[in-house]
Amino acid sequence: MGRIALTGTASFLGARLLRRLAETKGPERLLVVDVAAPPAALDIRHRAVDLTEPAADQRLLDVFREENVEEVVHFAFFTAPRRDAAYAHELESIGTLAVFSAAAAAAVGRVVMRSFTAVYGARGQNPAFLTEDRTLQPDAGLAWVRDKLEAEQHAASFARRYPDLKVAVLRLAPLVGPRVHTFYTRILDRRVVPTLMGYDPLIQMLHPDDALAAAEAAVDRPVTGAFNIVPCRTIPLVTALHLAGKIPVPVPHPVAYPAADVMWAAGIGEAPGRFCDYVRFPFVADGERARRELGFSARYTSRDALLAYLGYRHPHARLETAEASA
Amino acid sequence: MSSRPKVVPLRGRAASEPSDEPAAPAAAARRDGLLVAIARTIEAGRHGLTWENLAALQSAVYFSWHSEEVDEFGRDAKFTDTIRPLLEFLYTVWWRVEPAGVENVPAEGPALVVANHSGVLPWDGVMITLALRHEHPARRECRMLALDMFALLPFLAPALARTGAVRASQENGERLLRSGELVGVFPEGVKGVGKRYRDRYKLARFGRGGFVRLALRTSAPIVPCAVVGAEEIHPVLAKANWVGRPIGLPYFPITPTFPALGPLGVIPLPTKWSIDFADPIPTAEYGPAAADDSILVNRLSEQVRSIIQRMIAGRLARRRSIWFG
Repeated sequence: MGRIALTGTASFLGARLLRRLAETKGPERLLVVDVAAPPAALDIRHRAVDLTEPAADQRLLDVFREENVEEVVHFAFFTAPRRDAAYAHELESIGTLAVFSAAAAAAVGRVVMRSFTAVYGARGQNPAFLTEDRTLQPDAGLAWVRDKLEAEQHAASFARRYPDLKVAVLRLAPLVGPRVHTFYTRILDRRVVPTLMGYDPLIQMLHPDDALAAAEAAVDRPVTGAFNIVPCRTIPLVTALHLAGKIPVPVPHPVAYPAADVMWAAGIGEAPGRFCDYVRFPFVADGERARRELGFSARYTSRDALLAYLGYRHPHARLETAEASA
Repeated sequence: MSSRPKVVPLRGRAASEPSDEPAAPAAAARRDGLLVAIARTIEAGRHGLTWENLAALQSAVYFSWHSEEVDEFGRDAKFTDTIRPLLEFLYTVWWRVEPAGVENVPAEGPALVVANHSGVLPWDGVMITLALRHEHPARRECRMLALDMFALLPFLAPALARTGAVRASQENGERLLRSGELVGVFPEGVKGVGKRYRDRYKLARFGRGGFVRLALRTSAPIVPCAVVGAEEIHPVLAKANWVGRPIGLPYFPITPTFPALGPLGVIPLPTKWSIDFADPIPTAEYGPAAADDSILVNRLSEQVRSIIQRMIAGRLARRRSIWFG
């Protein structure tokens, strides 16, 4: 049996998946292909490859051949917008191209890639539930999501050109939960949260346990194609903020976009202005296909994920209720 | 383990208290309800208000009229209950809505209510929903498919979604009908709701028959519905589209009261309304494949349009006054 190679094992989800697979498959079947070494205690073989270096595809090909890799789990993506957009582009778009080129050349049987429901693009015209066959049309001016879109396009292109290469793409809803640190949780850590006046889209918050279960199912099952990995229910943005005990401050959207851009440029914002679309319009995805083919259905609702995160960030809230019921 | 009951002191957290004191948890304040939250904030005000107090109060106010979870299309049962008195006032007192043929709407299973659209703001949809909720023997909840211009309009869009309206699209309509819901549509769309006063009760083109295809694909019967009275609530004298276009509206209505009276201009006129439901038109016999038969789609669309036009004409012939019916 060949090995399972994992990229992005320093990321939150990648690290958890690595631990889980080490338990279920045994460390000897795993291979970490990442600049960062896995924790020594896991005793997993590590080959340092920088996906952003020019000859990354050749290096990956050598590694895949030498280590007899039969499956690649590609999780090297940034969950939040970055200021060094050029580096993010090299890693996410060009790095994904390198992974797929090497996987195809090394006749690796299967690639499981992480993606985001944000690649559908947040639009007012979106249906209440986006299905996997929906055309991906995110805002091309937003580098963060454009790189994801390009990674998806590489995946689709290789899946089409190499019928023997089975490609599964997991489009995960935004992660919110204990120990997650992403754009959304950073917003939730603030006391006062700006919102767009007059807009209150439904949002999905995925619990990390559900994300992990879906990733595990995708590694185990020989499924191909794209899968939305979403929580049970949605929650309106403003309701989520009030549940979290935040003070929402509505800002008119003609002001919010340039203001966010200015703050982003000044280094104090969380995201560039165009990212406001994701708190203005819905991008709610439908998890039916994952339920049917992947056998994955979420155990947590969006609200559960939010409350779990709050309980983790504000443990006193939990302690007091535990005391009261004792 | 003490058997002494624990007493949780009613006390907001003051800034001067030691920091190991549990932070005022939003979750706990929320369970307390609005009055306790107000009491806590007042009490805390004596020691100096904190952000936690304010956030807890704001959250308590919000959850006193919103529920914590909504259905998959964003309908909030508690919010709907909150604004129900206002809507019922409009239904019974303001417009004195007179429904007829409500029993033509199937008591269970999917069905598509197709109505004429008018009145600038989507009040006709709200009143159809109320008529079916209150007068139908099965108390059916009708999910209205809202036009993009409403479903995307700031402020109105979230309010519509919380009260159960859904943005009009084939995907959304199909999902609702497949789960056995009663769905309402206005095929005239923007052309209907923004009619000039002089064009009142002349039905505009029924789109391209999308609603028929929706019904055929899901085998849902079509119930034609005629709303009379809504055309006069905001008589559109002229349209200043050069104002509406830049702010994202397909038209900008000029009525006797709007924009002349400012915010007061959105108060609709108290006309007398009637809502008639005709016999359902079954679509199951054609089969889902018939949705691609554009001749059939157009024929059914025209049939529904003429039924509605006939019901409107009948009502108008009997109506002696716009205000008293």
